Amino acid sequence: MVTKERVEAVLGRVRPFLLADGGDIELVDVEGASATVRLSGACAGCPTAHITLHLGIEAALRDAMPDFGTLRVG
Amino acid sequence: MPVPDRLVIGRSDKMRAVFEFVDVIARSESTVLITGESGTGKEVIAGLIHQTSRRRGAPFVPVSCALFSETLIESELFGHERGAFTGAIKDRPGRFELAQGGTIFLDDVDDVPLGMQVKLLRVLQNRTIERLGGTRLIPVNVRVLAGTKRDLRQLVAEGKFREDLYYRLNVLPLTLPPLRDRPEDIPVLMEAFLGRFFSRRGDPPPPISAAVVRAFTAYPWPGNVRELENACERIAQMNTCGTIRIGCAAVNILLRASEEPHPVPQPPASAESSERSLDDRLREFESSLIRWALDASHGNKSKAAAMLKIKRSTLGDRIRHCGLESAPESREVTDRDAVGPWLAS
Repeated sequence: MVTKERVEAVLGRVRPFLLADGGDIELVDVEGASATVRLSGACAGCPTAHITLHLGIEAALRDAMPDFGTLRVG
Repeated sequence: MPVPDRLVIGRSDKMRAVFEFVDVIARSESTVLITGESGTGKEVIAGLIHQTSRRRGAPFVPVSCALFSETLIESELFGHERGAFTGAIKDRPGRFELAQGGTIFLDDVDDVPLGMQVKLLRVLQNRTIERLGGTRLIPVNVRVLAGTKRDLRQLVAEGKFREDLYYRLNVLPLTLPPLRDRPEDIPVLMEAFLGRFFSRRGDPPPPISAAVVRAFTAYPWPGNVRELENACERIAQMNTCGTIRIGCAAVNILLRASEEPHPVPQPPASAESSERSLDDRLREFESSLIRWALDASHGNKSKAAAMLKIKRSTLGDRIRHCGLESAPESREVTDRDAVGPWLAS
């Protein structure tokens, strides 16, 4: 079951590092089994950071919730 | 200055002890048994021991005993004569002969099959080898270093390693610490590896954000220095902005690092209710937030100001307001003591 709380729990493990770097990751929405997040800070505009964070966090979400669908980075 | 490919780095007490040991045994001819987890640098240290010994002008021959099957290892180590077995179309010297006058490093020595251990013991005792299919004894003047990631004494107790060979190898025991036991070396290693990989792509050494250093220092590095080196190489391949920020780090490193206690300094909770005025309590909270930002940015006031989303000049005013003028400045890493003796590749 994909819930905002469970997605937040995963994001919350990565967020302190982003905050310490002047950035953030914000949960915009959970729709069905998928979620949308928004990146801010210096890494938000970097294409490779998008790939690294997108794929890595999506994998972590799927580890926590095997029924997780897709992660969209807005 | 270009960073050499094979370098041994560490300013931790544990690595200083290793360097001192290598220095002390530099003039020795005795066998050294190097024990350490995968990726701790056993072969690099073996090379360093060779380079600091009188044999430095002669060959250094590293060989992993885990690579060869039981039937091949004898031929690899001791060589063979033409016709010794099907496919042996010419005489071939083994690794011991190739190391003549120099040093052989037998890595993964625990993988030498029991049957071969007797032959290895005989070579270590008599300093002569016999090629497979050969009849003459060839004297070898070779210093032997051995490496293992397992506890050889335990293998002896289990009957998987010969006790006599163990004692023959374990003359000078050297244990390499895993990276998680010397986290203070991680920032220095990161700088060295990233500097090397950036210089290969023609770029200057990149600035590394304090948050990345925190995450990498909290991560336990099960693959040790080799894993850290690979992580730095990946970052150098992927980085586009010239600064190493948290977006460069693999998420699995961040997730694992987040399980460690206090991987990044957290903003302090507001003070308990007390008799003090709101202004005093606000100033106290402001001080602790500023200290947190300065700590997380390693004393870099511009970064601390960015983290607090205020101007750099405002931060200066607030620091004075809170009486924090003696707040820690940037912590400089002195490379002079950080880099041990190194090997040219």
